[in-house]
Amino acid sequence: MFDHIRAFYQPRAVNEAIRLLHQPGVQACPVVGGSDLVLRAGRSVTDLVDITRLGLDYIRRSGQSVRIGTTTPLAELEHSPHVQHLAGGILAKAAACCGTIQRRNVATIGGDLVHASPAADTNTPLLGLDAKVVLQGLRSRRQVPLAEFFRGLHETLANGSLLTEIVIPPCKPHTAWSFQRFGRTEMDIAVVNVAAGLQLDRRGRCTWIRIALGALAPRPMRALKAEAVLADCILNQTRLERAADTAAQEIHSITDMRASGEYRTELSRVLLRRALEECTQHLECAL
Amino acid sequence: MKQAKLAMHTSRMELSLRVNGEMCEWTIAPGDLLLDILRREGYYGVKRGCETGDCGACTVLLDGRPVNSCMMFAAQANRRELVTIEGVAHGAGLAPVQQSLVERGAIQCGFCTPGVVLNAQALLATHPSATEEQVRNALSGNLCRCTGYRKPVEAILAVAQQHERRQAGSLQNGFAVVGHNVSKLDAAKLVTGRSAFTDDIHVPGLLYAKILESPHAHARIQRIDASKAKMVPGVHAVLTYKDVPRVPHTTAGQAWPEPSPYDTYLLDSKVRFVGDRVAAVAAESREIAEEALRRIVVEYEVLPAVLDMEHARDQAVTVIHDEPDSTGIHDACHNVAATIHKQLGNVEDGFRESDLVLEREYRTQRVQHCSLEPHVTITWLDPDDRLVIRSSTQIPFHVRRQVAMILQIPLQRVHVIKPRLGGGFGGKQEMLLEDICAALTLATRRPVKIEYTRREEFFMARSRHPQVLRMKMGFRKDGTLLASQMAVLASTGAYGSHSMTVQGNTGSKVLPLYRAPHMKFDCDVVYTNTPVAGAFRGYGCPQGFFAQESLMDEAAERLGMDPIELRRKNLIRLGDTDELSAQLGEGRKGLPRLIRSCGIEQCLERGAVAIGWEQKREVRPDPARHLRRGVGVSCSMQGSGIAGIDWASALIKLNEDGSYQVLVGAADVGGGADTVLSQIAAETLGVTLDKINICSGDTDLTPFDVGAYASSTTIISGGAVKKAADKVRSSLLEVASRILKVPAEKLDCCDNHIVAADGAAWPLAEIARQVTYKEKVQIMESASHSTNDSPPPFCATFAEVEVDTETGKVRVLHLVTAVDAGVAIHPWLAEGQVEGAVAQGLGYALVEEMQLDDKGRMINPRFLDYKIFCAKDMPDITTILVETEEPLGPYGAKSIGEVAINGPAPAIANAIFQAIGIRFRRLPIRSEDVWRALREKEAGEPAGLYSAVASD
Repeated sequence: MFDHIRAFYQPRAVNEAIRLLHQPGVQACPVVGGSDLVLRAGRSVTDLVDITRLGLDYIRRSGQSVRIGTTTPLAELEHSPHVQHLAGGILAKAAACCGTIQRRNVATIGGDLVHASPAADTNTPLLGLDAKVVLQGLRSRRQVPLAEFFRGLHETLANGSLLTEIVIPPCKPHTAWSFQRFGRTEMDIAVVNVAAGLQLDRRGRCTWIRIALGALAPRPMRALKAEAVLADCILNQTRLERAADTAAQEIHSITDMRASGEYRTELSRVLLRRALEECTQHLECAL
Repeated sequence: MKQAKLAMHTSRMELSLRVNGEMCEWTIAPGDLLLDILRREGYYGVKRGCETGDCGACTVLLDGRPVNSCMMFAAQANRRELVTIEGVAHGAGLAPVQQSLVERGAIQCGFCTPGVVLNAQALLATHPSATEEQVRNALSGNLCRCTGYRKPVEAILAVAQQHERRQAGSLQNGFAVVGHNVSKLDAAKLVTGRSAFTDDIHVPGLLYAKILESPHAHARIQRIDASKAKMVPGVHAVLTYKDVPRVPHTTAGQAWPEPSPYDTYLLDSKVRFVGDRVAAVAAESREIAEEALRRIVVEYEVLPAVLDMEHARDQAVTVIHDEPDSTGIHDACHNVAATIHKQLGNVEDGFRESDLVLEREYRTQRVQHCSLEPHVTITWLDPDDRLVIRSSTQIPFHVRRQVAMILQIPLQRVHVIKPRLGGGFGGKQEMLLEDICAALTLATRRPVKIEYTRREEFFMARSRHPQVLRMKMGFRKDGTLLASQMAVLASTGAYGSHSMTVQGNTGSKVLPLYRAPHMKFDCDVVYTNTPVAGAFRGYGCPQGFFAQESLMDEAAERLGMDPIELRRKNLIRLGDTDELSAQLGEGRKGLPRLIRSCGIEQCLERGAVAIGWEQKREVRPDPARHLRRGVGVSCSMQGSGIAGIDWASALIKLNEDGSYQVLVGAADVGGGADTVLSQIAAETLGVTLDKINICSGDTDLTPFDVGAYASSTTIISGGAVKKAADKVRSSLLEVASRILKVPAEKLDCCDNHIVAADGAAWPLAEIARQVTYKEKVQIMESASHSTNDSPPPFCATFAEVEVDTETGKVRVLHLVTAVDAGVAIHPWLAEGQVEGAVAQGLGYALVEEMQLDDKGRMINPRFLDYKIFCAKDMPDITTILVETEEPLGPYGAKSIGEVAINGPAPAIANAIFQAIGIRFRRLPIRSEDVWRALREKEAGEPAGLYSAVASD
């Protein structure tokens, strides 16, 4: 299947990896775990650069931020205390949904970001968490907010540079989070996934809100209008439902073999409402 | 540059890693996948099941963690530690997980077993006292199509919770071997991943074959030029229709003369579905074969395609089989492969006398068998130039006949070998790859292997016939059924394999479940330019029972009766004769079915208790505002072999040490036929099971058997074994009588001894030695067996469901299957058959569907997109074996392989009705359909044709 591959590199340093990815006259592709690449590598790819031995497999707290190395397997996220304690554990919960155990042991957080599948379960909470990605090029290193990173179906800003790290900024205090997903079966990729987080003040007024939706459109997206419905409002059931309705109106869901766009939209409404309910329940806010 | 050690700018590189504790240095290509390299190096326990990281058959432990070796480049494993299934057991001792899987009857075909073992090992290493949820979670990446997961999960849990070793054979049934849960004979081999399957051999000089598939649903090949493909270095043969004999045949593995039309050709100038064969290549490697395919130039005249079976018979529509040399097609001009019209009594009279007449339309979908081992065949010429076919098949003897005919070589020049099978389910009751593989071997004189990828398996192998069923039933007020009528339209796809017989079963095995003085069955089976349908567990019955059992439930509601009560009132019973079967033979006059054993009443009774029917039919408070629960029931039956057609034989010979060779043509497809047949032999011969050596499914070594299908093996092949064993026993006692000077009628065989009426006993080993060297006699007998009846096993299925009314998601909470299969020769294997069928039936009910686009291309040919149930999807399942004694079966046995697949779909549909008041008449009942129907109901919109309550 891959008889056209002429070299496989296992560099030990990031710079070396980047150089190998930019050799003139070759079409090099990073191996960030494997699973998606094996399925998608085109016949034009000539060189493979395994970046899993660059020491980019880590989950660290730095100050109030959490920094995750790009080649951290999803299974590590699932079990890491740092990630489990972050934002109600939604990222850990989402990581646990990313396919089979065999896949989660190999597939990495960076691989799923670069692959930019709209249904990738970790991408949606990362968007909700205002995560940034570190992109390293031959001569540059920059941080890009995830919202800008995703350009379309399997398209990202990474083009040419190596995604080395994911930075999750400090969570606001007194926030509650929820991750919801729907698949046809337990091992299905998501038909819809939802990540939501909110902060309430003592009076039950929403002082901060994030809603991210995945698997609906070519890229995961924030539901900004729905967020606006809740921002600065005292939350009650009606308001939560109105936010969910608004989200359903602001998205244009895709139709594929798993579900029609119409059904996806309805699922996103139901899942978002459930997510918001879970958040408010967590905050012991009697509505 | 440290990294440069690995990177060589050539196409080869060195890989060094530790496998099962041993350092390995292998030369690989940079793009090689780990799975391919492991199998190349002889680690055959690492299985190729999907190559897309979805099934888990290729699981290995990388630094202690389970990973899919098909989704990794071999080079990624450089300097790492790998454990394959071969490294789990130490010496002859099995690891506790392996031991438990063997002891608890958790192994069927064994193809997914290595992955299951490794995942369980990894789980128990970190969670020694794992819970059921953790076990199910750990196994959720290991698809299994045989077991329904219950027994594997229990076996692993037993290790985690340190249960006592389960004592096999605790049954007190008067038998020494039959009815006892002995370890499956091949279990130790399978659980350790030893070479057992078709592809688990190294064949020097092997070539790899690939088929060029049609991109069009219907087209004529105007021009085909293989010259560029032949020039690719490493290509040894390219075959097109111009290069092979044109012999009309059917691929259906049925007894000669087959009741399926001869409408198929090895290669043809016309293609009739997306995926049809255009050409075939044999080359030094799979990559070279694929490259050659890309270089075959084909010009097509694209023809209009018939995708919708409901328009297939229209006048203006294109004719799919316009070739003059096909035979046995009912009406080729109208694309009708087969038609059936039968009536008992006069249904119109029955409907006139009825107080309630209901007529409804039901639709069922196209689904695939998804055996974890795809179709695979290896062929070669032996030193005598005979053609050897090593193949994953349910029908070795039919394959021998078919290949000889298609390639026009004498049958005696063909030798078919069936190794272990990684699941069949009817998909391998088909001569599918053997002909093309053999043609390539004849063309190249080299060994050739052809193996479907999972993608190819989905649409280039076989599937279940989709049907539109119109079911009409008439009842008296008191519930007495007066008339039942079924009209079926079915699509056989591009070729008519099993077209008439599958649909015949839809009538003959379904309608007679309820006594009715008037019955009518009409059916048209049409060709369409879609993937080919064929035999699939249930063989037409799942479709029919979905319609009939749904309508029975609706009738009960309308009559104000309990659904169980209405069924009870009308069910076929002991002593009844089913006359419809006599009308619906397989392409010839059939035989009436006399019911000599019938446990359906007990099935209903015990199943109802297990599900909690009485309490749960009452209106109950819902657990949450958006969740609704309901319970439903269905009944079904099947057959045990094809009456008057199926037959089998067995040959048994005594060895000089008192053990026996049992040679049977029967094909164990993973369900444990070898074990069951050995149990029958051991019981009859008065020896322990370890004295039986069984050899099966080899056309050179074993006597004839039609093969493993139609739920025939236990009753037909088992009948042959029983007869042969009886004869051997008589012969042995006669010779022993001469040796011992005791009258033969005073001797018996018992517990590996010859025993006399006065209690004297001689070890059989002693006697056998004397028989061999003093008497100079080979004790050896053969027997053939067939029956003119097909005793039906019966089944009652109960489902409890929970419907999320906001999302439409249907969760099955509990599924109970109570089966009357006569005497179970091996109760755990029997349960395994039921549970595997239930898992397939659940998928059929809720999620499985081959989806085609408007060009006839399958859009979901992958386990990521075509969902089958995994360990986490399974509800709580309960299996009840209701024992009856069938006079026609060996030791009272009937069949068990198919019947349980019929029940889940209608039972679930009926349970959904109780939960939300909507009847679903189309399969699968997807969440989206449920959501849509709920929304329509809420809006008071007229009910959708197939989803909600239709008008009378």
